[in-house]
Amino acid sequence: MNHEKKTPLIRLAKRDGMEGWKIWCIRCGAVLFALLLGALVMGLVGANPFTAYGAMVSGALGKKSAIRQTVKIAVPLLGCALAIAPCFKMRFWNIGAEGQITAGAIAASYFALFWADRLPAPVLLTVMGVAGAVGGGFWALIPAFFKARWNTNETLFTLMMNYIVIGVVQWLQGGPWEGRKGSQIIPQFDEAACLPRVFGIHCGWIIVLVLVVFMHIYMNYTKHGYEISVIGDSVNTARYAGMNVGWVMMRTMFLSGAISGIVGFIVASGANNTLYDGVAGGVGFTSITVAWLSQLNAFAMVGISVLLAVLSKGAETLQTRMAVPASISDIITGILLFCMLGCEFFIHYRLIFRKKKEARNG
Amino acid sequence: MKKFLAVLLSMILALSLTACGGGGGDSQTSGGTDDKPTESKPDESQPADGTSGDTEAKTIKVGLICIGDENDQGYTYNFIRGKEAATEALAANGIIVDWVVKWNVREDVSCEDANIELADEGCDLIINNSFGFEPFMLKVAPDYPEIEFIACTNQASWGDNLENTHNAFANIYEGRYLAGVVAGMKLQQMIDEGTISADEAVIGYVGAFSFAEVISGFTAYFLGARSVCPSVSMKVQFVGSWSDATEEANAASALADMGCVMISQHSDNTTPATTAEAKGVFHTGYNNDMISVAPGASLISTRIDWAPYFEYAITSVANGESFDQDWCHGMDMGAVVMTGLNEAIAAPGTAEKLAEVEEQIRSGKLQVFDTSTFTVNGGETLTSAFALDTDGDFTPDSEEAVFDGAFHESHFQSAPYFALSIDGIDWLNTAFG
Repeated sequence: MNHEKKTPLIRLAKRDGMEGWKIWCIRCGAVLFALLLGALVMGLVGANPFTAYGAMVSGALGKKSAIRQTVKIAVPLLGCALAIAPCFKMRFWNIGAEGQITAGAIAASYFALFWADRLPAPVLLTVMGVAGAVGGGFWALIPAFFKARWNTNETLFTLMMNYIVIGVVQWLQGGPWEGRKGSQIIPQFDEAACLPRVFGIHCGWIIVLVLVVFMHIYMNYTKHGYEISVIGDSVNTARYAGMNVGWVMMRTMFLSGAISGIVGFIVASGANNTLYDGVAGGVGFTSITVAWLSQLNAFAMVGISVLLAVLSKGAETLQTRMAVPASISDIITGILLFCMLGCEFFIHYRLIFRKKKEARNG
Repeated sequence: MKKFLAVLLSMILALSLTACGGGGGDSQTSGGTDDKPTESKPDESQPADGTSGDTEAKTIKVGLICIGDENDQGYTYNFIRGKEAATEALAANGIIVDWVVKWNVREDVSCEDANIELADEGCDLIINNSFGFEPFMLKVAPDYPEIEFIACTNQASWGDNLENTHNAFANIYEGRYLAGVVAGMKLQQMIDEGTISADEAVIGYVGAFSFAEVISGFTAYFLGARSVCPSVSMKVQFVGSWSDATEEANAASALADMGCVMISQHSDNTTPATTAEAKGVFHTGYNNDMISVAPGASLISTRIDWAPYFEYAITSVANGESFDQDWCHGMDMGAVVMTGLNEAIAAPGTAEKLAEVEEQIRSGKLQVFDTSTFTVNGGETLTSAFALDTDGDFTPDSEEAVFDGAFHESHFQSAPYFALSIDGIDWLNTAFG
């Protein structure tokens, strides 16, 4: 009896092998639930939810220029999700993509600002891309080295590294790279240092699509990819199999940082045409959502990053068109992400209620 | 599993009910959001117009991109006041303005996105309210030749080879001069009454940055004060920020401790006024009436009234006419105004003197930067000074600004370019950012 009473009201049990259709039912249900919650919020501020969702969709996809803006948002999200995927597969919690993007952007911007008149455009852009990769890779290598050598906490370490490099950009903005005195703004890049446009959008979208294919192959069909997944499952197994875990960690983090660095180069050169402290703009964190939602599948990331971009651009239009506060748009985006991530919980666990135990078993 | 789905479904149903409830209610509440009342104003006055005048009512969609929101009670708030006044005035002329406002936009690529967003929303005219917005506006303007773009307080439009970009500023130095007259009269009154000696008439000025816009303002202010109080001198402390309430208060406090008996400011907050009040000295303000926060110190303020420019630009767009790419007016057009005078503490006769000087400025009889009223480099009369800064590096490189016995501020471009240090003003520091 006593034992019975101590049973909590709700218990969790791991479940596996749920049928595919059920999984998708839960996911669709979660999205629907989020949309309804969002409608509630809109209702509270006095906006018609139907018009509001309509405004979001048409604002993100209704016009050629709107689609261009949406793709512009999706590109860094996708690129950065690709970058953190191998780390997460390895259970190495790299939440420093924000800083790695920024480090890559700084390295690329150096060449954009000081080598633009010395190199022809294709060479300059290549140099900027390589510099971005090396810059981002180097920034990621530091916490990886400490983790491999002294087993430091990579979550805190990578997070702290973000603030340092963003501080560096702020110093550059107000100091050595400042354009007009007192403006706190680094000048716009020379034409040669800006990524050319394809279909009206900077060609960074082509680069990230190539990276999608690369990452898919790298993770699934290479020895490196195999090592990463073994370490992710069990570090001890990897050791027993004779893998140099520290070395794999450093190599993977360098690759991850390098891709983030390339994203930094794409954003600075293609989208912003300059460098400022918000170059990463939260992408390093939002892309974690993208990576998780797509379960580290490179192709799924394309879809998820576009979805988030639609939300983000749509939220902007919502704010413009319906004159709701900007924070309402953020709340709606937040609700949707929360529900989408949260529903995975119901896929992996089931709730057992105390009284209904028998009924369930039956 | 079935049970779980059932729970999920019932939750969805329950929520959809509440959501519909919310959706049904919003038709009544849709006018209740913050800026809706302003937006619906023209609609309310429209029927009256339509019946009486029956002129062709045009609707112009105007985008406004703001660095802050009206809560700053200073810079952006001042634009919002201009927006509201212009909307009202234009409605009377049969032009309905449909405003789309983007608040709290940063001076980075998000400004570019805001411009694109507004352009795609079908705005006929897009106004950028902050200095740092212009480079981003200029990236968008070439793609939308049919839309007019305005960068307030900036300076690239006259030379950027784009037909659809515009700059605007106001001759705020005129307002500064008048505020200086008010301050000078108070100081002279204190000297006459024996409260202070003649050489204790020291003004302390809290400046944001050592830029022409600030220098032009405090020089005009000083000249205004000296025109009625010959023994006055001034100390300037730069805080290195347009808006830093604490630093502004610290600077004002330090100036008062150095013996300044009058504080003025070119920064966004009201803390210099409250500090002056606490220190028992007097104050004149900027952007907003500060008498309410410092009734025993604040004498008067001056501010730009954006309404005349907004009316001018929007009317031009409505009529399909081109308008000035570089607009700058002052008291002649009502673009610079004084806030109410604090009669309780101002020197007697101040109001009459103000009216007199204002009339002289308006008619052009009085030049604020009359070269016979000040000297540079320890006694030299200013005979030549270059005006324009064409490459944006803050060093002047063309155009003679001194002619007809005065330095002509905001004559060649709307953005101020008077950046000289004149005798009698003591710069305690400099701040370029």
